[in-house]
Amino acid sequence: MGEIFCLVEHRRGELRDVTFEILWKAKDLGEKLDADISAVLLGHQVSSFAERLSGYANRVLLVEDARLANFNAALYQKVMSALMADRRPVITMVGNTAFGMDLAPSLAAELDLPLATDCVGLEVEDGKLFAVRSMYGGKVNAKVSFPEAQQYMVTVRAGAFPAEPGTLKGELVSIDSPLTEEITQRKFVEYVEAEVGEVDITQADTLVSVGRGIKEDKNMPLVEELANSLGGALACSRPITDAGWLTKDRQVGQSGKTVKPKLYLAVGISGAFQHLAGMQGSDLIVAINKDPEAPIFNVADYGIVNDLFKVVPALNAKIKEIKG
Amino acid sequence: MEIEGQTFAEKFDLFGCIQCGKCTGGCPISMKSSLNIRRLVYESIMRESNESIFEMPELWDCTTCATCSLRCPKGVEPADVIIGMRNLLVEEGRLQTTIRDALESIFKNGNPWGRIRDKRSEWQEGLKIKNFSEGQSAQILYFVGCTPAYDPRLQETAKSLSKCFDRAGVDFGTLGNEETCCGNEVRRMGEGGLFEMLVEDNSSLFKKYKIEKMVTTSPHCYNTFKNEYPETGFQVQHYTQFVSELIKQGRLTFSKEIAKVVTYQDPCFLGKQNDIYDEPRMIIESIPGVKFLDMDRSRERSLCCEGGGGRMWVEASYTGERLAEVRVKDAVSMGAEILATACPFCLLTLEDAVKTTGNEEKIQVKDIMELVAEAI
Amino acid sequence: MELVVCIKRVPDTSEAEVVIAPDERSIKEDRLPFDINEADNYATEEAILLKEKYGGSVTVVTVGKEDSKEQLRACLAKGADRAIRLDDEKFAGSDGYAIAKILHASIKDLKFDLVLTGCLADDDGYGQVGVQLAQLLGIPHACLVTKIEVQDKRARVHRELEGGLDEVLDIELPAVLAVQTGINEPRYASFKGIREAMKKEIKVLGLADIGLKPEDVGEPGSKIRLEKLFVPPVGERAQVLEGTPEETATRLAEILKEKGLI
Repeated sequence: MGEIFCLVEHRRGELRDVTFEILWKAKDLGEKLDADISAVLLGHQVSSFAERLSGYANRVLLVEDARLANFNAALYQKVMSALMADRRPVITMVGNTAFGMDLAPSLAAELDLPLATDCVGLEVEDGKLFAVRSMYGGKVNAKVSFPEAQQYMVTVRAGAFPAEPGTLKGELVSIDSPLTEEITQRKFVEYVEAEVGEVDITQADTLVSVGRGIKEDKNMPLVEELANSLGGALACSRPITDAGWLTKDRQVGQSGKTVKPKLYLAVGISGAFQHLAGMQGSDLIVAINKDPEAPIFNVADYGIVNDLFKVVPALNAKIKEIKG
Repeated sequence: MEIEGQTFAEKFDLFGCIQCGKCTGGCPISMKSSLNIRRLVYESIMRESNESIFEMPELWDCTTCATCSLRCPKGVEPADVIIGMRNLLVEEGRLQTTIRDALESIFKNGNPWGRIRDKRSEWQEGLKIKNFSEGQSAQILYFVGCTPAYDPRLQETAKSLSKCFDRAGVDFGTLGNEETCCGNEVRRMGEGGLFEMLVEDNSSLFKKYKIEKMVTTSPHCYNTFKNEYPETGFQVQHYTQFVSELIKQGRLTFSKEIAKVVTYQDPCFLGKQNDIYDEPRMIIESIPGVKFLDMDRSRERSLCCEGGGGRMWVEASYTGERLAEVRVKDAVSMGAEILATACPFCLLTLEDAVKTTGNEEKIQVKDIMELVAEAI
Repeated sequence: MELVVCIKRVPDTSEAEVVIAPDERSIKEDRLPFDINEADNYATEEAILLKEKYGGSVTVVTVGKEDSKEQLRACLAKGADRAIRLDDEKFAGSDGYAIAKILHASIKDLKFDLVLTGCLADDDGYGQVGVQLAQLLGIPHACLVTKIEVQDKRARVHRELEGGLDEVLDIELPAVLAVQTGINEPRYASFKGIREAMKKEIKVLGLADIGLKPEDVGEPGSKIRLEKLFVPPVGERAQVLEGTPEETATRLAEILKEKGLI
């Protein structure tokens, strides 16, 4: 029976959701590839994680080492390559996250393994693994195969698969850390929080979120007015903070905040998946965008396909009227 | 400061300057901006300067209305100094990000609005307009312009003009998605290199389609084609010139009334820079029902709307009341119900000003062609 | 500091309609606007800023056909000193790993303190080339980099994590840093500057020049194979409100009011 490695992602004392999504999918792949699941947990003083993870895998491979307390691609790679050389898992699955993007490609290159990144789908056909990747800004998907492969590596997009409560009873396997000498090439220093601004968008009931469609900083008053009249806060997608028009604490998305307001009104946002990842859990999603193909409409409850510079002023006026 | 091996004074022939100050006196933004064109000319001649041009954000406040050049009693063109300085800044790549984005968009997509070329003639959907780029030909090229092509508000002007051409039986066509920015604002933003490329490419295109007569929506396009493009064998008119002729010839007649008090903003690039004052007025006054009133500052004295010279993509270095707001208030106080204009940038800045001054109930901003199309 | 920047010319598909070609393994490119990959543009600017601060030179490298000369010239205009364009018909069909091999072969013998790349390409979205390049070069790396401070033979680097958190790390040079958008504000490359950049060298190298064999590159040298492109299944899409801007705004306001959100 083969083995599927699911690399556990944790940070600052918490297990990250993508771990459970990967474990869920691994179970499905394992059934089709005649393999069972190993949750691979690297860290320091993480035995409570190991206990929790044992419900989701056939075994938890635990490597305890003070040097592994915080993620460091160089150290984690050393441990993983030793484990993988020893146990030769048929698939090694990692989240396509800041953690996974820093580790998986170099690990794959070191072990000369095929790697498909940012997979939104994984299937087995005739005993072979196929991946589905999203390309061209989400407008096209690609089915990808791994010719002549016996072992695969994949990174999985966070949120691509669901997570379900675990029903297994995995055993705990402690493995001695292969780390010997000090690694000076790359050293973890510290975590730094983004500047805390005046508003915590994760606490707002209503968010009016603005994207590239707003075109210029001087057009912001339009959406500010909308946010104010709805009693909400102004948020944005990445390009707006890259341009410096709003501070980073207002950014919604994978590298910003995850929000679940009662109303998420997306104005001029196309809906790149990094953004969707941060808001698709909102209660009511409304999108205003000129482009009928914009991916935001896939998660929105209501959509207006029109020019925001015409719709938002009309909306502002209507709301003013209703409020009297 | 030097440009291509010559000092500014030599290149722009500034030595005639007598420092009378009529330039700064006539400069519409000198009251708010620290831009002092007289001083810049002085510093260029004396080859001294207290500040580096890199620390002068006010250089981007200039709207290139050309009032300074027009008023100079000695025939000096101070506006050239500003454009020259902007050329140096552009070469260093030191630009506000919005200007950078507009210029990159023109280079990549042929328009400053960040839109793709493929959508340039989307406004024509359903209108059956001839397309030179698809092999059709016509007597007149209607050069639409970037703003009327892409901006929904200005698309109304383009549609109105097309409707009137049809009604008058004018044989016209557009360049479809092959139409590219004329470059008027590009030159004035200081990107001389890109401007030259646009002139070359556009000139070849016009030659390729054997264009003999052209009508533009925007006075900016008209200005550069007429005055800055080399002789390419085509005659260019602004639509006010062409449409006033149509009316005179009886090819365009009115069947409805517009019973409103209308005033008119002379665009800098149509009026004071190209002496086209009567034609727009003739068109407005020929619409039945219209009561036309001229503003106090009209014709050569018209007040710039602050849309030209790249200002559509620039954060001004000053705050306070916009000139467009002054214009709107003037128009409202004289009882005008419609503030008409014949330039896309005037329309956008004036319409914005109507909103920011809270005059939406009192006055509307319209392009002359929108009024004409309503009344034919 | 000697710097190498790897860039890529990509189609801009943000507004354009993306049409899959009849072969179902590529998209129709003839009407798409092309430009430098966004993250690579930031990487180029970062390299030039580092050169302006510490002295040295910048070499910009791309795996690309003749059209990508345009992007190389823009980088040269902004301040890069020389360019290398890697072009060979055998490179066609290369996956991220094969591209990393090609880049590795061409830069391994250059003298450099830092290699900068963008963290992700907007077309294929692999996000792996920079990191794999580091592995092949045998040097450390970090990706999603949002700040670089060089101190002697090391750098203090910020990496962007999820949720507004940054990781700060200390890395030995030479290293590969794959840069995230927003790390700086890229300058404008003027037309005049691009014309003058024509004087700077663009070296064009093919398969044999970089010492690789046909089986190292293209589809033979790739580890994954693109089987088929397809349009993503449209899930439950939004209920689209129809009408003029005023009508849709009115309808939306009514909906919001009904739900107690106004």
